[in-house]
Amino acid sequence: MGRYSVKQLALWAVLAALALGLSTLDGMLPLSALLPLPGVKLGLANIVTLFALYVSGAPAALAILAVRCVLGAVFAGNASALLFSLLGGFCAMGAMILARRFGGLSVFGVSLCGAAAHNVGQIAAAMIVLGDTAVVGYLPFLLLLSLVTGSLTGLIVSRLLRAAVYLPLS
Amino acid sequence: MSLKSSPPECRPNRRDALAALVIAAAALVIALSFYYDNAPAGSASVQVSVSVGGRVEDFSSLSRYAGVHTYSCNGYTLTVSCDGAEVQVVSSTCPGQDCVHTGAVSKAGQSIVCLPARIVIRLTGGAADLTVG
Repeated sequence: MGRYSVKQLALWAVLAALALGLSTLDGMLPLSALLPLPGVKLGLANIVTLFALYVSGAPAALAILAVRCVLGAVFAGNASALLFSLLGGFCAMGAMILARRFGGLSVFGVSLCGAAAHNVGQIAAAMIVLGDTAVVGYLPFLLLLSLVTGSLTGLIVSRLLRAAVYLPLS
Repeated sequence: MSLKSSPPECRPNRRDALAALVIAAAALVIALSFYYDNAPAGSASVQVSVSVGGRVEDFSSLSRYAGVHTYSCNGYTLTVSCDGAEVQVVSSTCPGQDCVHTGAVSKAGQSIVCLPARIVIRLTGGAADLTVG
C-alpha cells in the first residue's frame, strides 16, 4: 500500500461512499413509473466512476466501482443485484477505458459509451437470471435512453473536471 | 492526478456525435432484428408463454389463456389477468412494480418481465395452439 498516499486513499474512500449514496438515491427515484422498463435508472453513480477514471486513473476507478457494487448488494440484501451491478458496471468501465484511450472522444463521448455498455451488461445479467431472451426487446429503448443519461453524466463530469483542475486532489 | 498535465477534453466533439450515432444505429438494428424474429406469422393465433424461474409454466393461445392466473417465484407473487385479447399483470408483490407499470400487452413480440420474481410473459405468433403445464 506504500504506492498510494493517505490523501489518495481518503479520496477514493469518499468517492466510493458518494457512489454508494448516489446509487441508493437512483434506486429510490420512481423512474420506472414513467418508463416501465426493467432496470431503468439515471445512472447517477456513473458520475463518480467517470470522474474517478479521469482524476485517479483506471485501477482506482475499478476499485471504487467494485466497492460500490459489493456494498450496494450487501446493503440491499440481494445477491442477484450484485450480478446486475457488477456486469453493468464493469461493462461500462471497460467501454469507458477503451473509449478514453483509443476513441479520441471527449468526456461526453466516453460517458455515452459507458452508459450504453452499462445497459448491455444489465440486459446480459437479466438474460442469465431469467434464462430467457425476452429482455433483449428492451435493449433498444435502454440504448436510446442511454444517449440522454450519458449526455447528462458527461455534462456533470465535464463541469466537475473543470473545477477539479483547481483542487489539490493528488 | 494527471489533470493539470493533460486536461481531458470537456467540450463535445465530432467523434462524440459519431459515437451517439453508432449507439442509435445499434438500437435500431437490435429493435428491427428482435421484432422481425417475433413478428406474428398469423394474427389469428397469438400465443402467450409464461416462464417462471426459467421454466415454461404456461403456453397457450391468448383466447384459451383467458382468466386470472397466479405465479410465485423467488419470494414474490404475480397476479396475471387475461381477457382473451390482452394480458396484464394486475398486481405484484415485487418492490419495483415494473411488471404492473408495463400495462397490457396484446401483440406478438410484446412481453412483460418481472426481474425480481424471474417471471417472463411473452406473446408470440404463428405457432400451433397447444398447452404445456
